Amino acid sequence: MKDCCGPGYSSPQEAIEAPREKLLYTIAIYTGTGIQKPDYLATVDVDPDSPTYSQVIHRLEMPGIGDELHHMGWNACSSCHDDSSMSRKYLILPGVRSNNLHIVDTATDPRAPRLHKVIEGAEIKAKADLSGPHTVHCLGSEIIISFLGNAKGEAPGGYLQLDKDFNIIGRWENSMGDIKFGYDFWYQPRHNIMVSSEWAAPNTFMPGFDLEEVGYLKYGRELHFWDFEKKVPVESFYLGEDGLLPLEVKFHHNPDSTHGFCGAALSTNVIHWWKNEEGKWQWEKIIDVENEIHPEWPIPLPGVMSAILISMDDKYLYLNNWLHGDMRQYDISDPHNPKLTGQVFMGGLLGKAPQVNGVDVAGGPQMFQLSLDGKRLYVTTSLFSTWDNQFYPDIRTKGGVMVQIDCDPVNGGMKINPDFIVDFGQEPNGPSRCHEARYPGGDCTSDIWL
Amino acid sequence: MTEYRVTLSNRGGAAYMVNGRRPLLEQLRDQGVDLPYGCEYGGCITCAAKLVEGHVDQRRQVALNNRQIENGYVILCVARAVTDITLEIGVESHDKLYRNPFLDPLKPHELKADIATPEDV
Ligand code: FES
Repeated sequence: MKDCCGPGYSSPQEAIEAPREKLLYTIAIYTGTGIQKPDYLATVDVDPDSPTYSQVIHRLEMPGIGDELHHMGWNACSSCHDDSSMSRKYLILPGVRSNNLHIVDTATDPRAPRLHKVIEGAEIKAKADLSGPHTVHCLGSEIIISFLGNAKGEAPGGYLQLDKDFNIIGRWENSMGDIKFGYDFWYQPRHNIMVSSEWAAPNTFMPGFDLEEVGYLKYGRELHFWDFEKKVPVESFYLGEDGLLPLEVKFHHNPDSTHGFCGAALSTNVIHWWKNEEGKWQWEKIIDVENEIHPEWPIPLPGVMSAILISMDDKYLYLNNWLHGDMRQYDISDPHNPKLTGQVFMGGLLGKAPQVNGVDVAGGPQMFQLSLDGKRLYVTTSLFSTWDNQFYPDIRTKGGVMVQIDCDPVNGGMKINPDFIVDFGQEPNGPSRCHEARYPGGDCTSDIWL
Repeated sequence: MTEYRVTLSNRGGAAYMVNGRRPLLEQLRDQGVDLPYGCEYGGCITCAAKLVEGHVDQRRQVALNNRQIENGYVILCVARAVTDITLEIGVESHDKLYRNPFLDPLKPHELKADIATPEDV
């Protein structure tokens, strides 16, 4: 990093050319596993020249049990690149069940992150009437976090705003409009737009997945377009059966682009949106993963696309089918016409890859993080403790795994790296489950350019 | 104040006295019982236990569907004892708590209370 500058990179291209990642952070949970220990942030050594390559080299335990760590976010990203007073020092780790926000200092010793501060869930409930934290994005020097419920766990929740010293400012949004549910969001400042998606109320999804509740409209099926400066939703798209459980939202990294994508988890479709020549937002379904028939089950099995990711060069879209067990790579150079260019299986309920590199996979591909250069995709297998327990009961004794998939960013293609696997079934306190991952230098799911 | 006896069938029959005013989770943890929990308001199911005998008042819970209630599950962070009770605690008691919805769908009367339809209608 240059002395003159703040965190991150001047452009996506500069990010692609950054040095290779050597460390990676992933959260690992004991909540819901039967092991009465705190969830923790694991540091994984991803430097092939290091003697501890492919191992957990540090564990930072949270102060209490029962948080269910899930997603994370940085205090600052490339949107503060011009501000030399800022640095990408802190990772924010919300507990979905406890509502505690853990602020972790990863800069003082990147190999051994330390707890800087905890914002108690009780304080958030009292000051902002929010629970069920999910996505963290920085916002210039401030931070906003989507919460899926009010203090009683009822939808739609809202957005908590923190200042750069992690004090609660209050609610970010001026109105939730007619939005029924919250989940993920991403913004593209040059177009004054934010897009948010819908999972369900905490009281609905936290105890587990009752498929039958989808028909009772307890789960989302809309995308919402916000006036980002006014902080109000201005347009919603009803996706219907094509967009059941629209979860992860990603814009192109190119700050001039209006193209964005959302993975509808239960429909297992990718929804694409863009602004047309008349300045109107449009949407279409561009990928539709067919359900699979399981020989013994009465209901066809959807893929369950719980995550999507766009490579830093905006050329590839990656998606998972958590229940089918495959990771896929699509060339989206023409975002209207994606082409499948890679696919690998790891776990899943169809029995296509029960083991990877000699380790049993009790789960399916779930969260993933791509290296800035687009060559290494790190994939974990646990979704959410209660949902894991429903679909993959063996994960309780086997734990989660982290796999590395080598990706060809020029010609397309994916294959499992034979030298890397982190088996969270072997953790010192017993099998834990890993979920989202981040790199110290920024990653493909955090940075936004102003 | 009336006190009730809580017997933990899968902890060698260990017994604890509780009152009927405060939730079981809080009172058992105060007496040193190691129990899983998350939200502590009855919405996330982490603290579920199986009621083997006796009765509790768990009107404040919103996590369980009617099949889980039928199978004896109680949400300890909001449930209060109304009689002496016997509980099976921890994830060992969760054998029937989780089900694969594609393999084993719920019937309309087995949904959560706010959307379930009565069985005989
Ligand atoms: S701790 Fe969440 S339901 Fe009891």
